[in-house]
Formats: sequence, structure tokens, C-alpha cells
Amino acid sequence: MPMSVRKFSIPEILFGRGSMQYVGTCARRLGAEKVFFVSDPGLKKAGWVDKVFELLETEKLSWVYYSNVVANPRDHQVQEGAQLYLDEGCDVVVSLGGGSPMDAAKGIALVASNGGKVHQYEGANRIHRPLPPMVFIPSTAGSGSDVSQFAIINDVQRRVKMSIISRTLVPNISIIDPNILTTKTKSLIIAAAIDAIAHAAESYVSKIASPFTEVHSLKSIDIIIKVLPAALETRGIDALEQLSVASTSAGMAFSNASLGIDHALAHSLGGMLDVVHGLIHPVLLPHVLRFNLPACPDKVADIGEIVLGKRYSSDEKTALAGIEKLEEFSHQLNVSTRLRDIITDRASLPQVCRMAVNDSCLLTNPRPATWEEMLQICEDAW
Amino acid sequence: MKMDTRLEDLIGLEDTKLGFFKEVQIKMRELQESNLKLKEKRQQIQAILDGITDVMAVISLDYRIQSVNHVFYRVFPHPEPQDEFCYRVFRNQDSPCSPCPLSEALETNHVSRQMYIYHLKGENRQFEITASPLRDQRGIPEHMLLLKRDVTVEKEYQAKYYHAEKMATIGLLAAGVAHEINNPLTAICGFAEGLKRRLPRLEERLGDLQNDKKLARDLQEYVETIIAEGHRCRDIVQNLLTFSPRWNASLTAVDLNFIVVDVLKILEHHLKKKLPNAICLDLDPALPRPMGIAAELKQVVLNLVLNALEAIQNQGKITLRTRTRGDDWIVLSVKDTGYGIPEENLDKLFEPFFTTKPVGKGIGIGLSTCYNIIRQHKGEIQVESSAGQGATFRVKLPMP
Ligand SMILES: [Fe+2]
Repeated sequence: MPMSVRKFSIPEILFGRGSMQYVGTCARRLGAEKVFFVSDPGLKKAGWVDKVFELLETEKLSWVYYSNVVANPRDHQVQEGAQLYLDEGCDVVVSLGGGSPMDAAKGIALVASNGGKVHQYEGANRIHRPLPPMVFIPSTAGSGSDVSQFAIINDVQRRVKMSIISRTLVPNISIIDPNILTTKTKSLIIAAAIDAIAHAAESYVSKIASPFTEVHSLKSIDIIIKVLPAALETRGIDALEQLSVASTSAGMAFSNASLGIDHALAHSLGGMLDVVHGLIHPVLLPHVLRFNLPACPDKVADIGEIVLGKRYSSDEKTALAGIEKLEEFSHQLNVSTRLRDIITDRASLPQVCRMAVNDSCLLTNPRPATWEEMLQICEDAW
Repeated sequence: MKMDTRLEDLIGLEDTKLGFFKEVQIKMRELQESNLKLKEKRQQIQAILDGITDVMAVISLDYRIQSVNHVFYRVFPHPEPQDEFCYRVFRNQDSPCSPCPLSEALETNHVSRQMYIYHLKGENRQFEITASPLRDQRGIPEHMLLLKRDVTVEKEYQAKYYHAEKMATIGLLAAGVAHEINNPLTAICGFAEGLKRRLPRLEERLGDLQNDKKLARDLQEYVETIIAEGHRCRDIVQNLLTFSPRWNASLTAVDLNFIVVDVLKILEHHLKKKLPNAICLDLDPALPRPMGIAAELKQVVLNLVLNALEAIQNQGKITLRTRTRGDDWIVLSVKDTGYGIPEENLDKLFEPFFTTKPVGKGIGIGLSTCYNIIRQHKGEIQVESSAGQGATFRVKLPMP
């Protein structure tokens, strides 16, 4: 790879407890008069949506609320949202939520400003006109969508997760308020944290990792391993805040260095079988790291060292011990670690893998993989 | 679709978050272009509006003038008609006119027309007024458009045209009749002359008786009367024949001033006796020479002067004037201070057989002959007069 120039781009980030109160000001600063606000029913129930309404009202902004979003957001939901955006004459997109509402919001902003169907933007750098300003408030410490240049939308007909990649999808402002995490269930916090670990690990070994992404990747893993158990037990705001830092770091890393086989498969599984994203990584990530080990033993060893807190005589030993420790970590969190626990249809795996080799995440994986090799990974994880 | 995604695309060195600056630039350029187009369109419409030579005014439904075109200021004296009531500005009235073309157009939802005579700058000008509703997008009248066209000149031309047409018809009729009468008249005159020549022989054969002498005298008298009246008829017929178009009369440059002087010479004897100081001459020494037939024009001048003498009777003045008018006309005018011509007669003045003289005196051929002669010179003859105010006859001949 002759390229030695790298890029590191992130949105403006407001970080800290209570930072959410700036959502109205941020939107207004970006020129908002009528906000298109995307969230989901869970956050409405928890009262956070009403809180945002209040904050927008304080700034004398009107808004349109859109919540027809599910996990693995669907193409038609994006189209419907974009139409509503245009019909209502909105000017700024605000999203509060996990990866799904945020990715849906990106898709809506994209279609509303560039027109057509969301499908035509699948791939890298296919967006040619600016998007409305976006202000995102992540409600989970994991997805990283609030800082990333990715939007993952489900093509219902083809049963594929489309990756749309463009610097233009990086939101203008990310408001990270750990207070929101206090109302999250234990399982949601775990799923998000493990997603963040996967982001960190995959971006660290990525072919286009740079010093700026690597430092965030390692920092993220370090924090999550140390803080997650305590965060789950005490629900202390200090620990939750650390998780927010970790997931944002992971997000910054993978937005700029991209991901690997684990996410290629996760997108495929999500698209075909509608598996919840966060459940997949405890199952696949250790096997993916083992597969990648020959290509970059030193880097997998770096991850091992962070997880273990020490290094063994060889990179290989450190790496393998670290992977084992990660599996153990998942066990302790009481999440499924076998593929059979999260999907029922083993026969569809070849199809899943055939589709996954086309995923752009595979481009940055340190070791090239055929669909058969990916199937082997899935079989190992079964 | 996404198969061609490359590593370089993920790094995206050449791609950056798109902002609105470029969009704004494009939008601004588009706006500038469309603004320019609008401006051109506006100028085009303005040019069209400026090209309209009628007075144009947009008037609100409560009779207030919203705007007027530039022609308004040329025609009407009001310096600032905006927001004023139309009836005040146009007719100097305190309440809407009756009938009002605006309200008529509004009621009938149709264009309404009206003729009206405005007294402007010391002249009566006849205007055709057109009112039509200006509708908004829903078709509801919002304002009224008022057009006022000065049709004074058209009306004059129209009257002239009708007159010329009438004259032509009458002329044709008269000429036809004249031709028909000419032959029998020649026979009558010829045979009467024949009779007259034979009268002395008849007289010889008659005796010296009182009765015979009386018979001879009577015959003599009757034949002479027949001849005299026959000649009068011949003159009338000759005059009537001037209505027929001449086919091959040769035109020469004519000195109008000389003609005037010549005519006065003919009348010298008559004038000296009755009105030695009645004639005033105002002749342009640099007068161009129109193309014409001198004898015919002399006849016209003589006719006009005789008429003028008739009009002033034993007192007053006659002014003969020659002038050029503009680049197109040479004008000879004969102005008298006589009893004038009543308005109702002005129209009929040039018709054959029209006369104001008592029956038996004059035959009214004179002015109609003048009319025909001048017409055949491609000129015009006009009269301006009112009863008791004298009269002016103007003969206009085209510049050579
Ligand atoms: Fe992920």
C-alpha cells in the first residue's frame, strides 16, 4: 500500500453531563427554524424526547418528530422520513438515539437534500450535494454513528445492509451527554460496549489505521475492559461517562480507519437475518482476531496487552491470551458467545458469507478473506 | 453498485464534507441570471407600454388613480394624478361620472366603450374611452384599466372621406346628365341660330302691317331668348362636365401670385366703381410654383373673389394671401369680412346646385366647379366660417 497520507475527520463534539441542554442552541447556530427530529419510542418513554422538545422550544424552534425507526433501519423508513422532511420544510436534522435512529437520520438528510432513493448512494463518496446540518445526541455508548462517516441502511428487498460512506455524512455536531445512559438497560449497555470494543479492535488492525486512530482504538478498549463491570454494577455516572468516552474514541477510530471481517459479517447477518448488531461481536470478534493474527501479530498482541495488562514472550502468545481473555470477559457479562445462540438458520450461513465478501469493511481487513474462509469463521463460532 | 469501492475511497483524501458555500454560489448565479432575465422582460414590457400612444391609467375600484403612462402627462394638465379621484383629474367633477365606463365595465364584466369630448389646451378633442377590468389570479377584478384614445383626427378624416365620396357620386351623376343633355342642347341652339338667321327673310315677306311687325318682333325676341337661355344651359353643362376626369390635360408650373393679380385686373373696372379699397394682397414673393392648369385655377380664384365680393356687399375687406404650409402645401386663401356662412350650410357648400341665392339668381355651379378643379389638381379646398363672422376659403395645392 503506497499511500502514506491519512485523514482524520470528526464533528464538533460537545461532551459532558448535561451537554444535551445545548441542542437547541446548536441547531439554531446551524440555521434551524424547523427541526426534523428523529428518535425512537423507547427514548420517548424514558422522557428524553420530551426533554429535547423542551430544549428546542426554549430556542423558539419548531420541530417535526419522526420515530418510525426500527433496529437495522429500513430503506422505506428513510424515504418516508425524507418526504416528511421536505413536506414540512425542515432545515436541520436532530437525532437522539442509538445507531438505528442516527443512521436513519443520516439517510433522511441525504435523500431530502440529494433526492432519489437512498439505494443510489450505496458505496463510498457517491454524495454530490451538501446535506442539511445534523446535530446528533447518542443515547448509547457504542454505535459511534454520531462521529462517523458511515450510515448503514437495510435494503429490505435485497435483504442487504447497505453501507453509505461519505465525509458528508459526518454530523456537524455530536452532543455526548452521559446522563442519558442512566436510563439504559443493562443488556443495552453491554451490547453497545461490546460493539465499541469491536470498532476499536477492528480499526486498530485496519490497513489504513493511523497514529491518530490507533491511540483512540487502544484507549477505548482499555477503558471498556476496566470500567464496564463497575458501570453495570453501580450505574455510577462516573463509570457511564467513561463508557461514553470509550465509545466516542472507538467511533473516531473506525470512522477514519474503517473496520474488518467482523463488521462485514455483522452487516450481512443484520441485513439477511435481522440479527441485532450488538449481539454479534461477542460471538465473532475472537474468531476474526484469530483469523487476522498471522497478518498482524504485533497489533493483535497490542490489543492482548491492553486486555491482559501484560505481555508474554512472543506477540503470538500475547495475542492469543488476549483473545481468550476477551472471550472470558464476554462470559462474565453473560452474553451469548456461540453463533447458534443468536441465529437458528445455519443453512443460510454460506449465503451470508457470500454477501459479506462484497462489504466494504472487508477492504481494510489486514488479511484478505474468501467467502469460504469467512464461512469457516462462522462455523468455528457456531 | 458499491463493488468498485476502493481503499482510497475509504480514506477519502479527495473528498470532504460538502458545505453549502458552493450551493450558495450556484444559487446566487442562478438568481443573478433570472434577475437579469426578469429585468430584460420588464424593460421589454416597459417598451411596449411606452409604445402605446393612448392615455393609459390604472384605477382602483374606488375611483382612485394608481398609475398612469407617460402619454397622460402630454395630454392632461394634472402634474400628479396618483391617488387622486379619476373623475376629478379627467373631468374636474366632484362625483363619479354618469354613465361611468368603469362601473359599467365592472357590472357587465366586459370591456366598456364611450366617446367623450375633452376641452384641452383651448381645443375640443374627441376621445374614445375604453375601460376593462384587471383581474387577479382568481379572476376577481382588482383594478380597472382605462385607455383614452384621441380620435379627433380620425373623425375629421372620416367626415372628409364621407364628403368626398358624396361629392364623387353627385359629380358622376351630374357629368352623366350633362353629357346626355349636351347633344339635344346643341341641336336646340343650332336650330335657334338657324331660325335667327332666317328671320330677316321672313320679315321681308311679311307686310308692313302693325300685326306683321309685332309678329316679327315677337319671333325675334323669342328666338333670342331661346338662344340666350340655350347658351346659359351650355355654360351649365360645360361646368358640369368638369366633374368628369380629364385624361390628358398637361400640367405646367403655375405662378399663383400672377393668377391673383390677373384676376384682379379682370375685375378692375367693377371694383373701381364699387369698392376701390376692398382688396388686400398678402402674397408670398418666394412662393413655389405648383403644377396645374392656369386657366382652371384662374377660374377658381375668380369664383372665390366674386363670392367674397358678394358676401361683403358694399363694405368690408377681402384679403388674398399666398403662403406655403409645411413642406407639403401651397395655400391660397381668400378671406372676407362678409355675412359668413351658417354652420348648417358648410357641409353642402361644394355640392352642385347648392345655392343660397334666391331662385333664378345663380345656379350654384361655381363652388362645386372649384371643388372639382382643385381635386383634379390633387389639392384641397376648405372653408372656415360662421354666420356674421366672414368666411375664409383656402385652396391647398401640393408642393411640386
Ligand atoms: Fe458496529
